[in-house]
Amino acid sequence: MSYDQLTPTPDADSKPFWDACRNHQLMFQKCAECGDVRWPPSILCPQCHCRDAEWIESVGKGTVYSYAIYHQAFHPAFAAKLPYVVAIVQLDEGPMILTNIIGCPHESLACEMPVQVAWDDVSEECSLPKFLPIL
Amino acid sequence: MLEAGICKYVVITYGHSALWGGGMYQMLLQLTGNEAAFGHFGAVGGYALAAMRGMHEFSTGPETWKHIAMGQRKWANLNPAAMMHKKAMSEEDYYNAPMVVEPLRLFDNCLINDGGRAIIITTAERARDLKQPPVLIAGMGHHNPSNEIGQAKYMAGPTGAKKAGEAAFQMAGIGVGDVDACQIYDCFTYTVELTMQDYGFFGRGEGEDWFKGGTIEPGGRMPLNTSGGQLSEAYYMGLTPMSEAVMQLRGQCGDRQLGPKTNTKEPEIILCSDNGGILQSNACYIFRKG
Repeated sequence: MSYDQLTPTPDADSKPFWDACRNHQLMFQKCAECGDVRWPPSILCPQCHCRDAEWIESVGKGTVYSYAIYHQAFHPAFAAKLPYVVAIVQLDEGPMILTNIIGCPHESLACEMPVQVAWDDVSEECSLPKFLPIL
Repeated sequence: MLEAGICKYVVITYGHSALWGGGMYQMLLQLTGNEAAFGHFGAVGGYALAAMRGMHEFSTGPETWKHIAMGQRKWANLNPAAMMHKKAMSEEDYYNAPMVVEPLRLFDNCLINDGGRAIIITTAERARDLKQPPVLIAGMGHHNPSNEIGQAKYMAGPTGAKKAGEAAFQMAGIGVGDVDACQIYDCFTYTVELTMQDYGFFGRGEGEDWFKGGTIEPGGRMPLNTSGGQLSEAYYMGLTPMSEAVMQLRGQCGDRQLGPKTNTKEPEIILCSDNGGILQSNACYIFRKG
């Protein structure tokens, strides 16, 4: 693993999500049976165990469920970014994803604050969905 | 298996060389998966997210957690085997320690250490013929509400501890008022607060009032993590709380022994917890003096 950049390693379930990210699209599976929109991608619905799902595109808006501010680097790739904000964002379509909040003074961070996706193109192969406050 | 006669003794062990070889770092990376791309690593980040959500939903925060960190340290100061045996902790020490992942400061985090621990389980009948005084399992309960943090909507509780505790109390035929001491899985201070809240020792958001005034310390009315726990003795997963409960009920704890020596009630019943993932599984055990 490279020490200057950590990037996701897509598996069979998550490859469609990460491929779509390269086109700046946030795609989630929606269960054909119960309609639950889920994260992370999986072959079964975690709510009703149905195997059928369609991929839908999120409009990229949601609210912060929770956040935490890293003051220590657990990996050299993040040493220069301290302090930085990791958050769980609940998207308007339903799923909760782990991400970063960017462009927000730390004293203004709050649970339930509205956010929208902002793409971080870390390489040609990888774009990460991060989130900005909606002012 | 013991009751069915399939085996006579079960040994439960835990060993870890967390301080060398990078094993702990590998475990943290595996626990994190693709979330490492966002700089999210392992347990402290996950529990920091949970603690921040707790602070949003009810009254909690460092004013509550300091009582847990400092109270457990006082027990460690009585335990020569504890890593923090000779280190006192003042309120100033607690607040001045560096933030690791906000809102969790250094002393909200458990220790990292090398070492191991084991307990042996057998039938009550066989235990009575052995050298050591027996301790009986009076009740147990487990509940595992999710395996993905993204599906975890209970970071401010109720966690799996709610149902696990109810099942254990029901099996033991007792209530929280019958518990003499607690040994609670304490990966972080917030875990202790949330677990005790979900077991019903105090109402939601009443933790600060419940913990303050030395409740869990030597001389307190509900001694908790009397070895120093994972915050101040050593980290052996669920075996730190369980082994301490067994030794306390046997009266083998030296200067930290519950009873007259520490101005606490001589224990008949001790409640233990274990916890996995980011509040994703909980086990509650109630032990009784044999």
